[in-house]
Amino acid sequence: MSKMSMLKSTLKNLFSRPVTVRYPYQKTDIPENNRGRVVWELKKCIWCRLCEKNCPTLAIVTDKEHRTQTITRARCIACRTCVDVCPTNTITMEPKYSDAVYLREKHIYALDLKPFEYRIIQIPASERLVLKKKPGEPEVLDEVVVPLTEPPRETKTE
Amino acid sequence: MSRVSVIPFGPQHSSFLEPMNLKLVMEEEKVVGATINIGYNHRGMEYAMAQDYKRTVFLCERVCGICSYHHSSAYVQAMENVFNVKVSDRANLVRTIMMECQRLTSHLLALGHTAEALGYENLFMQFFREREEIMMLVNRVSGNRVHYSMNTIGGLRKDVTYEQLKDIEKTMDIMEPKFLELQKVIRNDSTFRKRTRGIGLLKKADAESYCVVGPVGRGSGMPHDIRLTGFAGYGVDGMKYRPVVYEEGDVYARNNVRMDEVIQAVDLIRQALNLIRDGPFLTPVKGHPSGEGIGRVEAPRGELYYYIKAKGEQKLDRLKLRTPAFVNIPAIAAMIGGAQLADVAPIAVSVDPCICCCDR
Repeated sequence: MSKMSMLKSTLKNLFSRPVTVRYPYQKTDIPENNRGRVVWELKKCIWCRLCEKNCPTLAIVTDKEHRTQTITRARCIACRTCVDVCPTNTITMEPKYSDAVYLREKHIYALDLKPFEYRIIQIPASERLVLKKKPGEPEVLDEVVVPLTEPPRETKTE
Repeated sequence: MSRVSVIPFGPQHSSFLEPMNLKLVMEEEKVVGATINIGYNHRGMEYAMAQDYKRTVFLCERVCGICSYHHSSAYVQAMENVFNVKVSDRANLVRTIMMECQRLTSHLLALGHTAEALGYENLFMQFFREREEIMMLVNRVSGNRVHYSMNTIGGLRKDVTYEQLKDIEKTMDIMEPKFLELQKVIRNDSTFRKRTRGIGLLKKADAESYCVVGPVGRGSGMPHDIRLTGFAGYGVDGMKYRPVVYEEGDVYARNNVRMDEVIQAVDLIRQALNLIRDGPFLTPVKGHPSGEGIGRVEAPRGELYYYIKAKGEQKLDRLKLRTPAFVNIPAIAAMIGGAQLADVAPIAVSVDPCICCCDR
């Protein structure tokens, strides 16, 4: 019966649980090899600058003098080139991608922080691709150290 | 004597996923002519892609989200042509498997989109639910849902594991009955047939003069398919392939071509999985490219063509890409003549217009 061809699946779907997942509030199965975001364990770094040279979007800046690695998260396309190219496995890729970046900010990995910890610096207005700088806007807005274990996300009430 | 009026269809329209404009010349409810305006999504990709041939491996995937792997495969094929290297069978077969997986996601999107344009919201949701399974499979294999980033000049960036190949085989066994179930609605549902049969006719002569490619051409009786030339893994010994051709040339035929190709893609994936053997997955290349080269693949919408002219440095002299959507979209003008206004959306959607590819 061609007219009722969809009735079976309609009834089946009516009495089954939804396929969709309320993602940020519920867990979903992110595969282990998912390309989420890159993190550094700086103690292993030998400052060879290969990640900086090979990054296709020029998101990584290596500062050999001050011993820091800076990544502009909004530029990063999570292509995994830096992870493949790193000779000492300093750089690894986390499968989690949801909190890669919220604002226009740079993440700075330094030796005085714990492994995988980073400082957040807002990108100064002069470096942004904007035509006019708003009067009175400070260059560096704030500096935050992100702890290793992040606090639980606030759940929105709708 | 009826008055002629011109109404705009798009650029923002509920039946289009991306901005495109049709200026319809109407005689009451009948369409007597149409002008197609494109260019709302132009990003200057060709120029940007010629700047650095290494970075372009990642940039060319960003031309389009639903055939990203085909773009990257076509680009690396053109580059391999310039470097004159031979890619190993393993890399070629993995490329074939991933291309067919992407064809599955793209065709299921196109079919779901057609269902939505015809008012079948439920069917649209079902197509996208099955598509999600393939997207998750691709994520498990490559590491990303949309931009696989598996290709590099000379082969693959990373080898696939035995478990991943097993996973693909298992998922195909689960998905095939579900596709066949959905196929019944597209083929046999009476409302669906009435809305699609004899609508948007593109005769074979018109199809040839518009040079249409892909499912649009194959729906009009043109057996044109680049997979017959045996690029990538399609040329490996043991791969059997025959293009799906329908003679009618209407919306129904084009949907049937896509639906058959979904089943065929599952079959091709199985063939490639049987043929795949251990071996090298990357042939390294040295130096900068110099000379000319082309790369052709059969993207979900038809032939995708890359031309590269390199001059022995990091910057390329010229990169030209001919996308299937750019060829197929003008054919809407030939299909639309004499149609009712209510049929314009299904006709335009049946071409599977990808504006990102078209404007680039």
